[in-house]
Amino acid sequence: MRLPMLALKRRQWEPFAFASPSLVLIALVIMFPLAYSFYLSFLDFDLSVGPDANFIGARNYTESILRDGRFVGSIVNTAIIIGPALAAELVLGLGLALLLSRVARGRPIITALLAIPAMVSPVMAAMAWRMMFGVKYGAINNLGLQLGIIDVYFDWFGSSALARASVVLVDVWHNTPFMMLVLLAGIQSIPTELYDAARADGATPWQSFWSITLPLLKFTMAVGLMIRLIDLTKLFGLIFVLTYGGPGSSTETVAFTTYLAGFKDFRMSYAAALSYVIVGGVLLLTLLFLWIQRLREARAA
Amino acid sequence: MRPAALKVSLTLALAGFLAAGAFYARPVGAARPYEGQTIRAVVNAEYVKYSLSLVEKDLYDKLGVKIETEVIPLDAFVSKTLLEFNSGSSPWDLVMFGPSNMPDYGRHFEPLEPWIEKLKLDFAMDDIVPVFAKVMLRYQGKLVSMPYDGDIHIMYWNKVAFERADNQKKFKAKYHYDLKPPKTWKQWDDAAEFFHGWGWDGSDKKLFGAGASYKPSGSGYSYHWWRSRFFSYGGQYFDKDMKPLINTAAGVRALEEMVKTMPYYPPGVLLFESEEPKTMLVKGEVPLLYSWTSTGKRVGNKDESVIAGKAGFGLVPGAEIDGKIVNRPAITPGRGMAVSKYSKKKEVTLKVLEFISTPDQSLKIVMDPKTIMDPWRVSHLRSPIFRKAFPDADKYLDAIEATFPYLVPDPVVPAADEYQRKLSFEITEALAKRKAPKEALDTAAAEWDKVTERRGRDKQKAAWGEKLAEMKALGIEYHPDWAAKAK
Amino acid sequence: MAIALERPRVAARRARRYRLRRGLGHVLTYLGLLAALVFFLGPFFWILTTSLKGNEDFFTFPPVWIPADPSLSHYLALFTRSSGARYFTNSLVISSLSMFAALAVSLPTAYAIARWRFGGGLLSTFLLVLRMLPAIALIIPIYIMYKMLGMTNSYLGLVVVYTVLYIPFAVWLLVGFLRDFPVEIEEAAMIDGCSRVRALVQVVIPIIAPGLAVVALFAFIATWNEFLFAVVLTGIETKTMMVLVTSFTSGGTDMFYGEASASVVLGVLPAFAVAFMLQRYLVKGLALGGTKG
Repeated sequence: MRLPMLALKRRQWEPFAFASPSLVLIALVIMFPLAYSFYLSFLDFDLSVGPDANFIGARNYTESILRDGRFVGSIVNTAIIIGPALAAELVLGLGLALLLSRVARGRPIITALLAIPAMVSPVMAAMAWRMMFGVKYGAINNLGLQLGIIDVYFDWFGSSALARASVVLVDVWHNTPFMMLVLLAGIQSIPTELYDAARADGATPWQSFWSITLPLLKFTMAVGLMIRLIDLTKLFGLIFVLTYGGPGSSTETVAFTTYLAGFKDFRMSYAAALSYVIVGGVLLLTLLFLWIQRLREARAA
Repeated sequence: MRPAALKVSLTLALAGFLAAGAFYARPVGAARPYEGQTIRAVVNAEYVKYSLSLVEKDLYDKLGVKIETEVIPLDAFVSKTLLEFNSGSSPWDLVMFGPSNMPDYGRHFEPLEPWIEKLKLDFAMDDIVPVFAKVMLRYQGKLVSMPYDGDIHIMYWNKVAFERADNQKKFKAKYHYDLKPPKTWKQWDDAAEFFHGWGWDGSDKKLFGAGASYKPSGSGYSYHWWRSRFFSYGGQYFDKDMKPLINTAAGVRALEEMVKTMPYYPPGVLLFESEEPKTMLVKGEVPLLYSWTSTGKRVGNKDESVIAGKAGFGLVPGAEIDGKIVNRPAITPGRGMAVSKYSKKKEVTLKVLEFISTPDQSLKIVMDPKTIMDPWRVSHLRSPIFRKAFPDADKYLDAIEATFPYLVPDPVVPAADEYQRKLSFEITEALAKRKAPKEALDTAAAEWDKVTERRGRDKQKAAWGEKLAEMKALGIEYHPDWAAKAK
Repeated sequence: MAIALERPRVAARRARRYRLRRGLGHVLTYLGLLAALVFFLGPFFWILTTSLKGNEDFFTFPPVWIPADPSLSHYLALFTRSSGARYFTNSLVISSLSMFAALAVSLPTAYAIARWRFGGGLLSTFLLVLRMLPAIALIIPIYIMYKMLGMTNSYLGLVVVYTVLYIPFAVWLLVGFLRDFPVEIEEAAMIDGCSRVRALVQVVIPIIAPGLAVVALFAFIATWNEFLFAVVLTGIETKTMMVLVTSFTSGGTDMFYGEASASVVLGVLPAFAVAFMLQRYLVKGLALGGTKG
C-alpha cells in the first residue's frame, strides 16, 4: 500500500536529484555572477579609479544607446558581417554535406579532416590567417600571383567593404565545417526509401533534392542557423587578432566594443551594461527567429 | 651649448660606470646574498620576457635570485593587473608597465626613496636621460619606478634611394629642389609621393613611398604618427580649462595631410602595428620611416636587414614657421619597472630592480636586436660596445641623442591611455575615409570631453595643469596661427 | 528479329551512359571535396611550414613554401624560454578535468530532461540563453568571487567555470542520445532489480558510449580553445596555450614569427587528434543529438 505512494514521491524528487548538480553549479557560477554584474551595470565601477563605485542608475544604459555612436555603429557592423557569413556558411555547408553524403569510400576520414577548422579556437584561426593575408610575403597573395589572379600587393583589409568580406571569409573557413556536420547528420537521418520511391516515380536527383532533402532538412538548418547566429553575435577572437576592429571601425563588432570598454577603458560597469543590451538584443532576435519559424510551420500545416 | 652638454653627459656617464663598478666591488656579504630566493615579474609580451632572460644568468651569479616571469598579453595586461591590485594583493613583485598608465597605476607601487636609503641602493639616477627621468619615474612626486625601455621616435632613411644620381635628377626636375632626407612635412610628403610605386633602388620592383603604423591598437599607433605633425603645426592637447584642442586647425591640417598621402604608403598600412613597417624598411621596400628607436637595431641586424650600413638616422621632420624649422617628435613613454606595493619580498625585489637597471645590465637589454627595448641611459648612448654593435651604430645613437631636446611627451594625466586610444581610433576612421578629417577630430574631441566629465573635470584640470606647465618649460605651447603659416 | 537484337544494345548503351554519368558524378564529387580539403586544410599547412622555417625565410619574396632545411628551433625556444611545456600541460590537465566534470554533471541533467521532461521546455530555453551570454558579462563577478574564495590561479577555478559553460551544449546533445535510447531496455533492467542509477551506469552508458565520447571530446576542445577566462583567472602556474599564443600577437609579432606560428601549431594539435579519434562518430553523434530536437 505504501509502495505506490513512495514511488509517486520518488517520481517527484528524482528528476530534481538528477538535475541538481548542474543546476547548483549554474546557480553558483552563472546566476550569482550574472545578478552581480547586473547590479554592477548600475554603478560607475572603473578599475583605474579604484575598487569603490557609486550608484548612477540607468545612466550606463542610456549612454550606450543614446550617446555612444561607436557602440551603435558596432551593431550595424555586426549585422553586416552576420548576414553574408550565415548565408555563405549555410550554402557551402549544405553543398559539402551533399557531396559527402554521395561518397561511399573514405567518408569518415574526409568528414573528420573537413571538420578540423571548426574545432580550432578563433584566436588560432585568426592568427594563421593573419600570417597568410600578409601583403607581399603572405601565402594568399603569392598563391594568387602564381595563379595570375591577384597582385602580391593586394590589401585584403584595404577598404571597409573588403575588410568585412575578409572577416567573413575567415569566419566561413572557421565555421562552415560545423554547419556541414550538422547538415550531414540531418541528411543521413532522412530515410533512403523516400529517395528510392522518388526514383521509381522517375524523379531526377535535382527534383528529389528540392522535394525531399530540402523540406526534411528545414528543421536541421534552422537549428544550425540559430546556433551560428548566436555565436556570431559573440564574434570576438577573430576580430581581436585579425583586424582589431579596423580599418577605422569597419569590422568592430558589439563583442569587441564591449571588450574595449571593459578591458581597455577599464569601465567594467559600462561593459556590463553593454553586455546586457547585447543579450537583450540577441534574445529578441532569437524569439523573432523562432516566431517566424513557427509561423511558417503553421502556414505549411 | 652642444660641446658643454656633451661634456656634462660624459662626466655623468663616467659617474654611472663608476657607480656600477662600486656596486660590484661593494662587499655584499657572501656571494649570492639572496641565494634561493625567487621573485615574480609580470610583463606584457613574450618578447619582454625574452629581454629579461638576457640578464637572468648574471642576476643569479651576483645575487642568487631567480626571476619567474608571467606574461599577460598586452591587451589584457593593464586591466588584469589593476584587478589584482584593486583587491589589495598581487602575486607579483616586479611590475612592468606603460608609463602613460602611471596616473592610474602609481598608487600600487612601492615608493623607492626610503628603500634607497635603507638598502643603500644606487640607481645611477644621473645617468638617466633627463627627458625620461622627467616622465617615467614619479607618481605624485614620489620616485616609484625605473625606466626599462626608453621610447622616442627618430627618422630612418634608405641612403640608396636618396643618393642615386638618377633619383636626384628626377626629383629635382619634378619638385624644383634637391632630393635630401626630409626636414619638413612638405618634403616628407613630396618624397613619399616621389618614391611611391617604382624601383627607386634601380630594380624594376614595385616599392613604396614611406612607412607608418596606423592601427589604433596598443596605445594608439595612428595617434603617435599624427601627433608629430600636430605639434609642429602648433597644436596642444588641451587648453588650461581642459577644452580639447585636437580639432583645431593644427590637428585638421595634420590629419588632412595624412589622409591625402595615404596612397603613398604600403598596402596594409591601416593595420600595421610597430613591427610591420620596420620589416618593410629593413627589406628595402620603403625608403623612409619614422618610428621607435628599436628600429635602428633591426636596420643594423644583418640577419634580416638589407640596408645595414646603408641607412641614415635623423630627426623626425617638422614644420617651417617664419623661416625656422620646428621639430616636435614624440616621446611615447615606453616601459617602466616598479615594485608592487603588495609584494612580500620587497627587499630582494628592490635589489633586483637595481641590478636590472645598472648601466651594463640594462645595456645588454637595450642592445639586443630582438628586444625592441630602447636606450634610456646616457651611458647606453655612449657605450663603446653599442656604438660598434653594427654598421653606423654610432650615427644611430647620436641621432637619438640629437632628438632629445625636441621631444613632446604624452598627456600623462589620469585616463591618458583612453584619451590616446579614442583619438587614435578617430584618426584611423579618417584614414580609412569613413569620416572627414575635421569630423573625425570633432568626434574625438567630444569623446575626450566625455572622458574628462567622467573622471571629474576639476581633478583632470589639476593634473593637466602640471603637465601644461612642464610642457611650457620645454617651450611647447599652443600656437593657433602656426597651422596656417607652416611650410 | 532486328528489334530483338536492337534492344539489348540500346540497354547496354544506356547502362554504359548511366555508368559513365555516375562515374563522372563520382569524379566531380571527389574533385569538389578535394578543393574543399585544400581550402580548409591549407592554412594549417602554411602555419606548419612557417613554424619550421628559419628566421631568414619568413619575409622573402617569393615565399619559401616548404623549408629546404626544416628546423625545430622555434619549438625548442618555445619550450625553453617561453615555458611552453608548462602551458601545454596546464591546457591538457584543465581540459581533461573539465571534460570529465562536464560529462558527469550533464549526463544526469540530460537524463532528467529526456526521461521526465524535467523543467518542460523551460530548461532547454534557459540553456540556450546561457549560450548567448558574452563572457565579459561574467568575468568580473567570477573573478571577484574567486578572489574571495582563493580560487584564482588554480586549476579548480578554471575547471569549474569551463564545466558550467559547457553544460548547455553537452545537455543539448545528450538529451538527443537519451531520447533515442529504447526505454524498454532500461525498464527491463529495472524490473530485474537494478536501481535507476545502476541501470543508467550499467545499461545505458555502455550503449550510448560513442555519443558520450563525442560530447566529451567536444568539451575537451571547447575548453582547450577558451581564451578570455584563461587570461583573467590564471596566474603563472596555470596559464594555458591560448594565453601563450596571444602573448605573441601584439606589436612584436614579426620578431617572434617562428615562435608565434609554432605555438599555433601546438594549439591546433588537439583539434587534429580529436578529429581523427572521432572520425566515425562525428556525424553520428550530432545526428543522434540536437538536430532531432
